[in-house]
Amino acid sequence: MQKKDLLRICLQNLMRRRSRTFLTVLGVLIGCCSIVIMVSLGIGMKESQDKLLAEMGDLTIITVSAPQRGKGKVKLDEPLVKRLRNLEGVVGVSPKQSLEVDSIRILAGASKRYIAEWSSVVGMDTGEIGRLGYQIVAGAPAKGDGQVVAGEFLAYSFKDTLRPEGRNMIDRWTGEIDSSGRPVDLPPPYLDPMKSPLVLEVTTQAGTFSFPITVSGVVKEDYSKGYETSEGLIMSLSDLRKLLDKVQGAAKKKLPYDSVLVKVASIDRVADVEQQIKTMGYATESMESIRKPMEKEARQKQMMLGGLGAISLFVAALGITNTMIMSISERTREIGIMKALGCYVTDVRVMFLAEAGAIGLIGGVIGCVVSSVASVVINLVSIGLSPENLPAALLGGEGVNRVSVIPPWLLLFAILFSVLIGLGSGYYPANKAVGIPALEAIKSE
Amino acid sequence: MNPPNARSRPIIEVNNVRKEYPVGDETVVALKGISLEVMRGEICCIFGTSGSGKSTLLNQLAGMEKPTRGEVRIGGVPISRLNERQLAGFRQRHLGFVFQSYNLLPNLTATENVAMPLLFRGVPKAQREAAARKLLCRVGLSHRLDHFPRQMSGGQQQRAGIARAFIARPDVVFADEPTGNLDSKTTLEIMDMICSFARDFHQTIILVTHDPEMAAYAHRIVTLIDGEIVRNQVNHKENARHGTSPFPQSSVPSAPPGLADGGPARRAGGGER
Repeated sequence: MQKKDLLRICLQNLMRRRSRTFLTVLGVLIGCCSIVIMVSLGIGMKESQDKLLAEMGDLTIITVSAPQRGKGKVKLDEPLVKRLRNLEGVVGVSPKQSLEVDSIRILAGASKRYIAEWSSVVGMDTGEIGRLGYQIVAGAPAKGDGQVVAGEFLAYSFKDTLRPEGRNMIDRWTGEIDSSGRPVDLPPPYLDPMKSPLVLEVTTQAGTFSFPITVSGVVKEDYSKGYETSEGLIMSLSDLRKLLDKVQGAAKKKLPYDSVLVKVASIDRVADVEQQIKTMGYATESMESIRKPMEKEARQKQMMLGGLGAISLFVAALGITNTMIMSISERTREIGIMKALGCYVTDVRVMFLAEAGAIGLIGGVIGCVVSSVASVVINLVSIGLSPENLPAALLGGEGVNRVSVIPPWLLLFAILFSVLIGLGSGYYPANKAVGIPALEAIKSE
Repeated sequence: MNPPNARSRPIIEVNNVRKEYPVGDETVVALKGISLEVMRGEICCIFGTSGSGKSTLLNQLAGMEKPTRGEVRIGGVPISRLNERQLAGFRQRHLGFVFQSYNLLPNLTATENVAMPLLFRGVPKAQREAAARKLLCRVGLSHRLDHFPRQMSGGQQQRAGIARAFIARPDVVFADEPTGNLDSKTTLEIMDMICSFARDFHQTIILVTHDPEMAAYAHRIVTLIDGEIVRNQVNHKENARHGTSPFPQSSVPSAPPGLADGGPARRAGGGER
């Protein structure tokens, strides 16, 4: 028999008992919907969890510190940096050292009109900044020789000494604030740090020292990476070393790094790399310790929800089997006739399997459509019922927490699963049909 | 399938076929060692009362059941030894069936029903349905091509059934009480139709019946009683009517008078109607 004919016969048979087919398909549809919706809720939960974690900090950064503040045997030094760089899965390593002095001021403008106080200044391997996940939003990373990278909002930490106290700074928080808590429409600052020459003024017990600096670039604000990305400066380690040599005066001593930042290629390698660093005797800190239990819990919930959905699809499978058995007992004579007329046994089997599979497929496809619509509705309700929220409910986006997320693989999986359930539950009835002898045709009614 | 000397060689050879059925603890012997030969182009009637074993014999001949012992060959192929798939293929190419209760599929139109044997062979839709329409016109159903079985009378359904049996040009057509559910006028039409098809395409017909009037259409009448062939004779009346015999006259034992008139046979089969 030709495949086209088999398909036609299978559809004809399904159309023959419309209401029964409809009810069976409905069973599969509900089962498929419940799986998709349940799993999508789990995925949505996980997605918002990941967003939450990402807001708390970069998930793939491990901060390495020495026990006993570096006074013990293990030290944060250059050999360690080299060893960390050679670990598998590590894409970027940079030591971090902050400038700890009595006071830091940044001066700008003619006759030092603009002054930023209490700025934080750190030294890092500026070549590694990009690899560590720092985003340069303007300009380029510093290349040493007085070049620095400024925090995104350094410009707003300057005060205008010619204005009266209390009204001499521009508050970037005055405007509207968007849903993620960031101000929109920033007011123009007094100056652009990248365009004006700056002077770094450092005061220690040995005196006050001035260093001219140029801002080569601006990094995006990231609280997890430190305040310097917001309103501070990042300079190269060698520059910081030179600066320290000068300002420490007589009490010259080589300070160990505060910490070493290690960037790992992907989330799933963090735990492994972190473990390796720990065995070297260092203390580590990463989002992994928070993420792991959260992920585990999310997975458990997801499994539970998916399991509930699977139960209803299993019930639907029983429905398919029941329908097929009924239709076979009704069609016993027909099958006998077909066999008597020379229909191959395999064709009979394929015919019934195709019917069961088609029920699964139709139920799966409609189920996916229905659950996609349901998912959008759930999201719309959770975000707020208005047409402009529709794209956010459909596609999600920055700062949008969708309750239900349906990735394409889930739909594909659901359809495939429904078809398999159909075929599986049609297997027994199909075998039953195959066993019907041609003799049935000759038996009189 | 077609031996060169088709006329002289029997198309159906039944060799000492025995069929037993277990019924409870006992064994019922339905066929007690039957041997039979049917020539190509012959209309052979298997005649007997209910319980005589004629239906069982038909089942063995058509490969619906396997004999307990013995062998059935059609065109030299031992069909009692074929597996299910080979048997299906053999049925597609060489066998046709006309059933007592027509057995058209209720959800298919007349054309689709008639085209069904070709469908199983994998003939494309347009081609097989054209052939089916042509044949339906020949059996006088040109006005019922797209009707469903329930919209047709018994006689019309059986004509469609005959068209279905002959569409694939089988070598042998089995007809199991083909007019059992029809009135006498329609019976004559149907039997004439079967005989004319058989004549035109030189096909062999195995006609199973308990009705001596129908047996009269056959070239040869094989009478079964209690699973044994009690008579195997040429029907002179039929031969006289058609003026031809498919097999050499000399090879056939002469029929005792009386059966051709339907006398004893009518008594034998009278209880079933």
